[in-house]
Amino acid sequence: MKKLERRAVLCLVLAGCLVFGLLVFLVRFGLSGTRWASSAFNRHLYNSQGMLISGTVLDRYGTPLCWVNEDGERVYIDGKTMRKAILHVVGDPYGNIGTGALTAFAKELTGYTLLGGAYGAERGNQLYLTIDAQLNEVAYQALNGKKGAVAVYNYQTGEVLCMVSSPSYDPRNIPDDLETNPDYEGVYLNRCLSSTFTPGSVFKLVTLSAALEQIPDLMERTWKCEGSAQIGDGTVTCTSAHGEQTIEQALANSCNVVFGQLAVELGGATLEEYTQKAGLTKSYSVSGIPTAKGTFTFQGSLTENDLAWSGVGQYHDSVNPCALMVYMGAIANGGKAAVPTLVQKVDTPGWPDLPQFTKKTGRLIAQDTAKEITDMMANNVTQTYGTKRFPGMDLCAKSGTAEVGSDQKPHAWFAGFLRNEDAPYAFVVLVENGGSGSDVAGTVASKVLKAALD
Amino acid sequence: MLETITQFRLHLAQLLGAHPQIEGWFFTLVRFVFPLLALLILIRAIRGLLRVPRAGERWGQLALPGGGSIPITRWENILGRAPLADIRLDLPTVSRQHAALIREGKGQWRVEDLGSKGGTKVNGKPVSGSAPLQVGDTLWVGGVELLFLPLSQEEEEHLAARRRMEQPLPMWPSLIWLTLFQLLAAVQFFLKSEEEGWAPLVLPALSVVMWIYFLVMRGAGARGFEMETIAFFLSTLSLAVTISSAPGAAVKQLIAVVLGLLFMLALGIFMRDPSRIQKMRWLMAAMAVGLLSVTLVIGKTKFGASNWIILGPLSFQPSEVAKIFYIFAGAASLERLFHKRNLGLFMVLTGVCLLCLALMSDFGTACIFFATFLVIAYLRSGDFATLSLITGGAAFAGLLVLQFKPYIFQRFASWGHAWEAASTTGYQQTRAMSAAASGGLVGMGGGNGWLHRIGAADTDLVFGMLCEEWGLIIAVLAVLSIVTLAVFAARVCGVGRSAFPTIAACAAGSLLVVQTCLNVFGAMDLLPLTGVTFPFVSNGGSAMIASWGLLAFLKGADTRERSSFVVGKDRAEKPKGGGADEKA
Repeated sequence: MKKLERRAVLCLVLAGCLVFGLLVFLVRFGLSGTRWASSAFNRHLYNSQGMLISGTVLDRYGTPLCWVNEDGERVYIDGKTMRKAILHVVGDPYGNIGTGALTAFAKELTGYTLLGGAYGAERGNQLYLTIDAQLNEVAYQALNGKKGAVAVYNYQTGEVLCMVSSPSYDPRNIPDDLETNPDYEGVYLNRCLSSTFTPGSVFKLVTLSAALEQIPDLMERTWKCEGSAQIGDGTVTCTSAHGEQTIEQALANSCNVVFGQLAVELGGATLEEYTQKAGLTKSYSVSGIPTAKGTFTFQGSLTENDLAWSGVGQYHDSVNPCALMVYMGAIANGGKAAVPTLVQKVDTPGWPDLPQFTKKTGRLIAQDTAKEITDMMANNVTQTYGTKRFPGMDLCAKSGTAEVGSDQKPHAWFAGFLRNEDAPYAFVVLVENGGSGSDVAGTVASKVLKAALD
Repeated sequence: MLETITQFRLHLAQLLGAHPQIEGWFFTLVRFVFPLLALLILIRAIRGLLRVPRAGERWGQLALPGGGSIPITRWENILGRAPLADIRLDLPTVSRQHAALIREGKGQWRVEDLGSKGGTKVNGKPVSGSAPLQVGDTLWVGGVELLFLPLSQEEEEHLAARRRMEQPLPMWPSLIWLTLFQLLAAVQFFLKSEEEGWAPLVLPALSVVMWIYFLVMRGAGARGFEMETIAFFLSTLSLAVTISSAPGAAVKQLIAVVLGLLFMLALGIFMRDPSRIQKMRWLMAAMAVGLLSVTLVIGKTKFGASNWIILGPLSFQPSEVAKIFYIFAGAASLERLFHKRNLGLFMVLTGVCLLCLALMSDFGTACIFFATFLVIAYLRSGDFATLSLITGGAAFAGLLVLQFKPYIFQRFASWGHAWEAASTTGYQQTRAMSAAASGGLVGMGGGNGWLHRIGAADTDLVFGMLCEEWGLIIAVLAVLSIVTLAVFAARVCGVGRSAFPTIAACAAGSLLVVQTCLNVFGAMDLLPLTGVTFPFVSNGGSAMIASWGLLAFLKGADTRERSSFVVGKDRAEKPKGGGADEKA
């Protein structure tokens, strides 16, 4: 019988297997349970059409953008253009836009938690976005049907006032050719958060910040631009010959020759260091939504000419619009900016509102350097872009015209910030294949900022 | 009775009509009460079962020539030099397994020589084969002379006192909490259901059944109720799941619990007499094979496996009950522990059963049978090498089938990545996981789920339903209850009387555990979904009856003082004192 006692260990081993498996299940439950629950077939949270069963999305002023009506159907705000303008921040009813509030903030909207379950989810919460829906509509209209992205945020509080991505569509009348028509390519992406693009000349601000700190006699130097220059085994070209210029003039002229030479003088390692410090290669968490990371190649098997082009935002450079906007905010704010947020508050019936905290970035740029760049960016506006286009604004900006292949028009960029005390806004505008940065993107920025100040 | 309840419902409806918020409060509050009650019910039962019984039984003693004595704690004892001998005589003249000292069913003792070198003698006469041993006889084992004596009065009293200390915990508190659980659940279902259904009444009916059982058994002198408490708790969950998924089947499920209870009693009382067990083993083996082969011939297919027999309104899954006969035959075919019998016949029985199950495409049950085979075979032979070989062979055979008939395993194709096949082969698993994650710790409340609309939700996916409607805490407790039964089976071997109940208990415990593994991990995509039931919890009459039947084997090994109706006291037949004096 003692032998049996010994052999009965097998029974314990099996019981151990069950306990072990149960622990594995619990770990998986803890790690992925929220994802399991947020399946469109989960009738506790989604209706039979796969739409979120409850929760209202409102803009910062309490305008309802998307809610569930008495018949249990999910409906959007009136106005076709308005619906297109808010689509990417609010999300589509079927969860295709992963960064939309309906998907990204489904837990906040329904009140679902892993430990509390979906109990009471049918009541739903009021989710106030930081977005100003009117401003979004203005921005969407300003893009005028072109692909692109517009974002404006308060660099002191982090509140994103405007976030538009185009192409968009009307969630009330979803086009049949949405998935096939090339005009809708990447329509489910919020370009502000989830895409990266060649930055072109807006990246010169990073090269400039490195040069200001690493080259002591930068401010005393002058350069002569003849329209192109031999750097390494190739040339770097400008749109025209800019002639004799200081660094400030070179930035206002957006002179590739000067910044290409500076990039080579600084070297790949330094450029990489400043790009990383600027936060352009990191992912921000915008109310929990991760932004896309920018990618750059400054080191390795690249020629001097490649390095020169990468220093002016070409070559393999690729930047996320939101990260660029945060960098603008950091320049404006003395080196550190607030991390953007999209959620103003979540109003649960019967519960007090939870306070939302502002989170700051790390130091993206040294304070003195930020001050110097600010002045030069202000000079850009007076010298090149024209103050008349931006009435009542203490604007600092940099345009970009990013070449994206000989057969396509360049991407137009316009990024910067206001120094107005009552409107501490940083912004970024991208018009894909839009043409000239200061003309096309600058015009969009002008319209949006005017509306933002009203 | 029904009138009173109709009246009550009417009043309740009026009350709720006047104060609609009460219903909301009730649901919100009661969600947290259920897990609390479950904890109160189970912690006591689990604690009771996991207390190691230290003071085993004593049946007599062997007095050594130089003074001192060795107690006889079992009905089957091996005398020898081996470290694992029950009565160890560490002398060079004693063989490793020298002789066996066995208590027959009626209380007579016998000694058997196990082919020892030095030989065995009773009162000086050499034993060839076996010889009876009376109290007071001298037993000569390889040069050692032992005197077979009963326990002294003093020792017996001391032991009795110790055993009283280790008596099973009283289960009254757990029962009261369980009754409260059942009543609250019934009220919750009444409030939840829109239509006029009587299905929730099965819960208070189960309370009545439960109390009748306990009072009758208590009256008959039984004291250990931990296992039954666990089984009644799990059966309550089963009824709750059934009310939610198939209200029409709730009464049937209650009847299954009652039948299961009666089956357990019958099987247990049958096993009280060890002499019956040996006689019946062939019949049991034949029953197991018969049930499976009959199913093979006239079985109907439901949910992918053709393991159902449908007779008019009754549908029945014989493979569930076949498990019990299989364990019975397997555990009983080892006549005596010390007989080096080969496993041939048992392997043939297993082979036939597995073949039948494979032909029915019931791979889940085949897995359970195979795991049970391994447990029984290992307990009987201790031959780890051979069993590893057999397992390897089985795995190889499985791979061969996979090679030649891959379509058979297509059902299992999505194993491990159910989410990538969420609309095809991973449909059930993904639904179960999603619903499970919606319940949180305390669940959505009975009847407030959607998983029950998915096929086989109350059987194969029942763990998902438990998580969804009753919460993670209760679902995990249900699994831990099964673990407890197996751990108890393994530990109680230390004080087991003889081979059959010990092996049968371990086999039953292991079977319950393996079945739970396949059910829970199948539904949660940690193992292929094979369509086996969660013991006691899944909706299904055959499965419920079989689960209660298995409990009889576990009760059969419970030798704690007056705890099990299956284990007799046998005090009257113990060797009486004074035998030695008479001889002298």
